[in-house]
Order: sequence, then C-alpha cells, then structure tokens
Amino acid sequence: MHSIWAVALNTIKQALRMKIAAVFIVLLVVLLPVMGVSMTGDGTIKGRLQTFISYGFSLTSLLLCLLTIITSVYSVTNDIKQMQIYTVITKPIRRFQFLLGKLLGVILLNVVLLAMFSVVIYTIVIFTPGYFKADNAEIARLNNEFFTARATVIPAEEDVSKEVQKEYDKLKKDGQLPPEVLASKSANDKYMAWLTNQKKLEKRAAAVGHEIVWKFSDVRASEPNQSLFVRFKYDVSVNPPDSQVYGRWFAGDNRQLPYDVYTLDRKDTIRTFYEIEVPSDAVAKDGYLAVGFLNVPLNNTVVIFPPGDGLELLYKTGTFNGNFFRSVLLLLGRLIFLACLGILASTFLSFPVAILLCLVGFFTASISGFVAESFEFLGEGAGIIYNYTVRPVVMLLPQFDKFNPVDYLVPARILDWSLVAEVFGIMICIKALLLLGLALLIFSRKEIAKITI
Amino acid sequence: MEYAIETFSLTKVFADWWGRNRVCAVEDLSLKICYNEIFGLLGPNGSGKTTTIKMLLGLLHPTKGRSVVLGGDATDPKINARIGFLPEESYLYRYLSARETLEFYGRLFKLPSKVRKMRIESLLDMVGLKAVANRTVGTFSKGMARRIGLAQALINDPDLLILDEPTTGLDPIGTRQIKDLIIELAKRGKTILLCSHLLADVEDVCDRIAILYGGKIQSEGKVKELLQRSDKTQITTGHISDMAVERIKQIVSGEQADCVVTSPMDKLETFFIRIVAAAQQQSQPTSGAVSTTQIGNFLTAGESILDKLVSANPAEQKLSAPTDTQPARRADDASSRQVAADKEYQTKPDEQLLSKLTEQSKPVATEPVVTDKNAKAQQLETETDEKEQTRKSILDGLTEDGM
Repeated sequence: MHSIWAVALNTIKQALRMKIAAVFIVLLVVLLPVMGVSMTGDGTIKGRLQTFISYGFSLTSLLLCLLTIITSVYSVTNDIKQMQIYTVITKPIRRFQFLLGKLLGVILLNVVLLAMFSVVIYTIVIFTPGYFKADNAEIARLNNEFFTARATVIPAEEDVSKEVQKEYDKLKKDGQLPPEVLASKSANDKYMAWLTNQKKLEKRAAAVGHEIVWKFSDVRASEPNQSLFVRFKYDVSVNPPDSQVYGRWFAGDNRQLPYDVYTLDRKDTIRTFYEIEVPSDAVAKDGYLAVGFLNVPLNNTVVIFPPGDGLELLYKTGTFNGNFFRSVLLLLGRLIFLACLGILASTFLSFPVAILLCLVGFFTASISGFVAESFEFLGEGAGIIYNYTVRPVVMLLPQFDKFNPVDYLVPARILDWSLVAEVFGIMICIKALLLLGLALLIFSRKEIAKITI
Repeated sequence: MEYAIETFSLTKVFADWWGRNRVCAVEDLSLKICYNEIFGLLGPNGSGKTTTIKMLLGLLHPTKGRSVVLGGDATDPKINARIGFLPEESYLYRYLSARETLEFYGRLFKLPSKVRKMRIESLLDMVGLKAVANRTVGTFSKGMARRIGLAQALINDPDLLILDEPTTGLDPIGTRQIKDLIIELAKRGKTILLCSHLLADVEDVCDRIAILYGGKIQSEGKVKELLQRSDKTQITTGHISDMAVERIKQIVSGEQADCVVTSPMDKLETFFIRIVAAAQQQSQPTSGAVSTTQIGNFLTAGESILDKLVSANPAEQKLSAPTDTQPARRADDASSRQVAADKEYQTKPDEQLLSKLTEQSKPVATEPVVTDKNAKAQQLETETDEKEQTRKSILDGLTEDGM
C-alpha cells in the first residue's frame, strides 16, 4: 500500500508539474465565468441557466476526459520510454502495485479537479439569478422549473395493433397494398412497422378543432401542495407564418361531470419546450390526472406532439443540489473508465498510438447511440461481419451519451441513485475493471527493458 | 546460499519482430560472486555487461538459463529490498528535486519517515549535493545526476550493490570518492558488482574480475593473480645515492637478469587532485585549513570507527543540546566530503589532499549524532574522537539504523 501511495503521489506531482494540467485548469477557470455571463439562451434567466449548465458541464467533461487520457497514458509510457521505470521496478514494488499507483494518482487528480470545477459551476449557477436581478416571480419560477429535480411520467402508449390490422386488411381488400409488400416477408414486416408508426403518430396529432386527451394514473407528488408541470413541444405539419401555435389546455379529472378541470389558453412557438404549471389539486384523490389539448380553430395546421419527449408530466421528487451532486458522480465514472483505458493502452503501446486508441474509444463512447443506430441499417451480409467484430467492441465501450448528466440537469429531471448505481456498476465495476485486469496481466509479463520502436 | 549471485548458463538472444534471432548478447554465462566481494565485470562496448545486469534484476527475461540473486529471484520484493541498483544512465524523474527523488525511493522501500529523512540528509551530504537539494534533477549536469543515482542506490542500505558504470560522467575527484566509497562499503560487509570499461577504476577497487567479449566470459579470476607478472620483480626504494644504485645493478646483472632504473611515476589522478587542492586552498581562510589537517592525521592513525563501535558496550543514550526530537543533524558539512574516510586503504599523502580539497571552510560543529549506537560510542570517546566521529558517521548513519 505504501508503494502504491508513493507512486500515486509521484504521478500527481508529474501531472501538475507537466503544465498540461495547468493549461486545462486555467482554460476552465477563465472560460466558465465568461460563459456564465455571455450565454443568453432564450433571454430568460432560466434560459441562461440552462444554456450555461449545458455548455459548462459539457466543456468540463470534455476537457477533463482529455486530461485524464493524456495524463494516464503519458505517465506510464514516459516512464517506460525514458527508462525511469528501471530504477522504480527494481525496488520492492510489484508490477501491479506500480500500475495501481499510477491509476490512483490519476483518479485522485480527477477528483480534485472535478470538485473544483463543479464548485465553480455551482457557484455561477446559484449566483446568476441575483447577478441578473431576477424579480420574485422569476425566482419562484426558477425554483419550480430549474432548481429542482423532478420525476417524469410519460403517457402510456396506446395499443394500436388492432387498428393497424384493420387498416392493413382494408388496404389488402381494396388492392391498395404495394406489390412488393406481398412478395417477401421482410418487406411485409417493414410495411407493418411503418403502418404502426403512422397510427401511433396519429394518436399524438390533433387536427384543427380536435383535441387529444392524455390520461395519467397514480400521480403522487412528494410533497402536498406541490405543483406539477406539463412539459411539451409542438411540431406542425404546415409552418404557421409567425411560427406560433394557439392552444387550449385542460388539466384535471375528466371522469365525472361537471368536468373538474383547469383551463388555459396560450400561444407558443413551435419546436420549443414549454412548461405549464398545474396546481396540485387538479390531481384526483386516487392519483388520476387527465391532460387535454385543443387545437383551436385560430390555427391552420395539424399540431403533433413528437414521440418520446413531446409531452411529459413532471413533479418534484428531489433537490437540485442532490441532482447536481449525482451528475458530478456520473462524470467521475466516465473519468475513471477513461483512466483505466489509458493505463491499458500504455502497457503495450507507445505514447502516440496509445493516445490515438484512447481518443477513438472516447469519441466512439460519446456517440455510441449514433454508432449503434447506424449499424442497424446495415444490410444482411455486412450485418454478420458487424455482429462478430465491431459489435463486441462497441458493447464494451460505455455509452457516454446515454448517461449524459446534462440531459437531466437542463429539464430538471431527477437523476436518482439507482441510475448512478447502474452507471457505476456497469461502466466501472465491469468494463473498467476488465480493462484494468487486462492491463495488469500484460504488464506483469512484460519485459521492461526490451526496446520496442 | 554460498554465493551472492550465481548464474547458470545465462543466455540472452534478442529476436526481431518476425522471430528471427538477431543478436546474441549474452551466451552461456556462468558467474559466481561471493558474499562480501567486489566483483568487476569488464568488457568492451556491446559485450553484454548491461544485459547481464538487467537479466539479474528481472528487467529482461533470459532466453536460457537462470540466475540466483541473494538466494532467490531478484523480482521478489524481499530480495529487492536488499539490492541497490545504479543503472548506466541515472534514470531519474526530471521534475522532482533531489530531495524529493530520494524521498520517493525511500517510500518505495517502506522506510519509516524519520529514518527516511535522516538517511536523505546523510546521503545528500555524502554525495555533495546539499546545496542543490531543492533543484529539479532535470537541471543537473550528468555528474550530479550520477551522484543522486548513487544516493538512491544506497538509501536502503543494501547488502548487494549493483553498479553499472558508476564513474562515467564524474570528474576525477568524484571518481576517487566513489572508489573509496565502494571499498568502504565492502569493508562493511556488502557485496558489490561493478560493471565498467574504465579499467583504471576497476583495477583499483575490485577483488575479482571477469572479462566479457561477445557475450562470453574470456577470463575470470582474482585481480592480483591475473595482473601479476611473475616473471619480473619490482623493488621500490626511497631516495638512495647513485653508488647504491650501481651496486644494485651489479647484483642484478650477476643474476643474469635485466635491470631498469627509473623514478616511479605519480598517478595522474593523484597529481590532478594535488594541483586542484593547492589551487582551492589558496582561496581558503586559515582556520579551515588547520582543522583539515587534524582530521587527516587522525584518520590515518588506523583504527576504524566501525571497530570501535563493534567493541562498544551498550550505554545510556547521551542527548545533548540539540533537541532529541529532531533527526540526527548532519549540519556538519565538513565531514560530508569525507567519503574517503578509510585511511587504511591508502596511507598515501594524497588522501589528505582529497580531504583538504573537499572540506568546506566552515569550522566543524560538534553536534553529537542522536542515534543509539553513536551515542554509545561517544561514551567511550575522548573529545577529539567525538569530533572525528561525527564527521565520519555519514556511512555509519546508513548502516546503523538496523531497519
């Protein structure tokens, strides 16, 4: 343990005296406040905060990930290349202790820097409302919609299979099915999937003068008298001239007459997220809530709510501070994984090649969703090759974009401990430890003094 | 366990990427190095000396054969803790200062904090880098880096010292110091394996040597036996009259032998040190020079401190004015340069020159060392003995801690 700690201290000293850490630190310390002041978002304080936290977190994450890769790779490869490892490894230190010491040093450095920068971001976020002289109403709004952590309820998808089948049969009877659909089974399946998609989309669209009603059950806020929020985004079939849509919203219990609902008329821009506050007494005693939208005749277009996050119900289940802290932990998880990857690469590669490998790994992990999706579109033949070669590698890499803390902080969605545990469990305990084990194995067998070009 | 290092047909063949054998660096090497011996491994460039050492230490895997170091495998931490290694270039971290470097290696040996600090200060004194202890090693010259390398090899008070070309890059004074240090350490029971192609240095210190060429041992044996030319006799006298010289010549011709009479040559090293010492002394104040002579005289008198310590009875620890919570203070820079502490090896006058040369002008502070054995020894010493002892105790400090 002594030896591991000695090597860790040495690694931290090296990173700090290497000046690359200093460059990153100075960069962040300068950029973050500048961003805090200059990012305007949509002009509102909430917009500012959202834009700042989104870009601030992303920038911090990017720079710290790069720093981790560079430090972990440089530390080991430099020792091997400049042969300082000869004087170290001939001392009573086992090979695995040496690598673990390097890893520990990098992780400790990350913890300190991450703590430092998250404090900077947090301070800027807390002080921004005061700095821009927000009035009481705005502050109240911010407390409800930003400085909080809310659980999301998405309306249940309705089962459209019966309707799809009916439509299919009708088309078949009328002879309106395209010929290639009847020819092969896979084309048939694709057509059915497309039909299903169309039907689902119809459920989320309101023609002029029509309304959509979503039903939520078992809605329970963590505190009584806590407002709920309906978060939505409009999409349209025909762009209105001023990109504004008029709508009438209902929220309440529509099961009994007279309807015990709140109504609200509003005008909103398309393709932007908005939130409507719903008082807590709109929810019935058994947790039932109905939310309705009427496409008022003032509009000239069909209004569609995009699938996924087009319409959500949010209610508070946690605090902003807790959410923020857990987001920072997610970032730490990424950094730990990258440190292990860097150490592995440096045990058998030279510095430039190892850095390249780690960067490729990092960027693939950052766009892993896109990579996985794009491979789904491969044809049959390429698909087999993909399944046996690229796919295992992509599976091994963590999905940074899937567990992106910014996706939770910006809409103030709760990032709960179970998610953090999942990330740490998979990304670190399994994937990172696998890489680390491989690194230790390679290093233990390595002929240290063998010169490789 | 009778040999400190023993190799059995050690072979190393370097193959290229395709597996073809390219270089046979070491072939069928069977060495036996006894305990408490100074062994020199000689050879021209590329003869396999450094490769052998790397194989002994586990930095390279032998292609064939095996080696036994201190009764075990050198990669075992228990064995490693007793080995000190000075590589052919001092591979040190350039961004650490001299003190931090020794601190790092001390930690790797799991030395307790106090012992570590004390040893670091002793070593910095010994290698003469006290003044630059806080400068980063990257700014050091080659010789200074070599000295720090030597210090880190000694920080754990090793039983086996492996030195790969220890004197390269050092000036003649430094070389002299290292040679004296090696001999002193051997006297204290350590085993030393020396690798060099500087023959003069090896000749002076080694007990046994082996000459390598092309990876094979060409010759091996005791230095005296190998170098002695038994077909000639050499007689050295003090100043004698020409008549006496003529008479000697006649006696020798009577034996049917040739006789050549010349004045023996001073070694260049001795001459160099003498000149430099004289030059330095001209700028030194008188008080410095006086105390120097005292040390020189006393140390050539014979009995080593080690002997005195061994015969000392356990006595109460004598703690004096400097607080006992401090580690032993080596404020005494004057003694720091006296690596050449052992005067039994050479009773030549140049020893005194060396001490004169490397002494600083500060008067010696008589601070007793605060460790058990030193304190015990002090009980038995007289006043002058105390002075001399504190100065000489650099190496004592290294070997006494019993850690």
